[in-house]
Amino acid sequence: MKTRLTRRLLLGTVTTLGLMLSVAQPAAAAESASAFVHQLGDRLVAIVNSDLPAAQKKEKVLPILQQDVDVDAIGRFCLGRYWRVATPEQQAEYLKLFHQVLANAITDKLGDYRGVSFTIGGTTPKGEDQSVDAILHRPQQPDANMEWIVNESSGAPKVVDVIGEGASLRLTQRQDYASYIQRNGGQVSTLLTALQHQIERHSTATGN
Amino acid sequence: MGSEKDDQHLEHSSAGNACRSLTVRGRTFRTGSLVLGGLALAGCSSMVAPKPTDPEALAEYQEANDKYEPLNRKMYDLSVTVDKYTTRPVAKAYVWAVPVPVRKSLGNMVQTMNEPVVFFNDVGAGKPRRAGDAFVRWCINMVAGVGGFIDVAKYAGYPHHDNDGGLTLATWGIASGPYLFLPMMGPSTFRDGIGYGLDQGLSPWNYVPRGYGLLTFNWAYNIMGVINTRANHLDDLDQVQRDALDPYATIRSAYQQQRKAMAEAIKNDHRATVPDWYN
Repeated sequence: MKTRLTRRLLLGTVTTLGLMLSVAQPAAAAESASAFVHQLGDRLVAIVNSDLPAAQKKEKVLPILQQDVDVDAIGRFCLGRYWRVATPEQQAEYLKLFHQVLANAITDKLGDYRGVSFTIGGTTPKGEDQSVDAILHRPQQPDANMEWIVNESSGAPKVVDVIGEGASLRLTQRQDYASYIQRNGGQVSTLLTALQHQIERHSTATGN
Repeated sequence: MGSEKDDQHLEHSSAGNACRSLTVRGRTFRTGSLVLGGLALAGCSSMVAPKPTDPEALAEYQEANDKYEPLNRKMYDLSVTVDKYTTRPVAKAYVWAVPVPVRKSLGNMVQTMNEPVVFFNDVGAGKPRRAGDAFVRWCINMVAGVGGFIDVAKYAGYPHHDNDGGLTLATWGIASGPYLFLPMMGPSTFRDGIGYGLDQGLSPWNYVPRGYGLLTFNWAYNIMGVINTRANHLDDLDQVQRDALDPYATIRSAYQQQRKAMAEAIKNDHRATVPDWYN
């Protein structure tokens, strides 16, 4: 009687613990994704709303971009089916250019958004990723809904996509690139040239 | 916010916002262009993009949902050129000449005047809470907001929400059909084009007796709507033109994603009909 009880108790405990863990794990992932987005957002807002000159803001934002955004994964996604067609050299070259294009696009806008703040909403699992809802409050403009897609497969949480008012950054970018490649001979090299030109144009326009 | 993600978001949502906005306003002029687009479509079988055979290319083709791409691209190029020499400079001048508060009031007015269309569509979508919000917004803003110039309802806890015929049809489960770029009207689909036609029928302004000052009002309202909407998206559209390698494809993608998300949001809105303070 005693042994049976113990065994039942033991089995029961193990099962319950197992169940609790399996329930708790996604909840923990959601919590950490939400906390991650929260502190990332706080750091960015602090930089954007500070009195620093534009060049310094840029300097401060770039390391955050490298650390908390999975730029390589976004880049691979954006190249879509052409990623597999590209040679290893082209892949490396593309990622290098993609990093610059993304950094330019982001740092260009740093000056425009002084006075912003945000609220974090709920978190929902999306496949392997966690989607964190946020509302961006902008002065003189209506609030914008956004979702931050966070992936933790590399060990640390990283942003892999941002969805603004329903449109995904990486999906829109992928269709832009795919359409460009397809209409210009179907070669990855044409995309690389175009990105190169884009970066050159940007540096002549901004003078750096 | 100037944060990296937000910027990415803004940049891309701005493409979507811009395209969405392009479809929102306008009356007679745009109905005309809808008819024109339809005629052009009917007349040109060579305007259909060939279906690729490679499975991956086919997947891409289906994702783009752009059967009439050759025609759509022509319409897009035409619209961009016309915009460059007409609407865009006018919108720039408007932003330069008119101070922010005045522009905001005019924007509120345009939005309030469209509230009946939102209301009827909310009813059509079977969303009483949203319909109630639209109705209350209309009542409050027309009275306390002095004919819609001040968005009092927003401060009273009834923020604006969008709805239109295309979205209502979407909540009924009607597929979008192929993508369309309508001249001067912007991105659309077969379904959204039809929805646009329905909205014209739902707008009380199209039933106002002609004559007296009302005709003038209607014209002023429509022109105001076009300029105001374009002015709101000066930076967004400029940015898409500058940063996208293929702005046409970027707008196409953002528009379709956004419409899908908007329809989903309406479908998933299960809030109670009674206002928050009642609970």
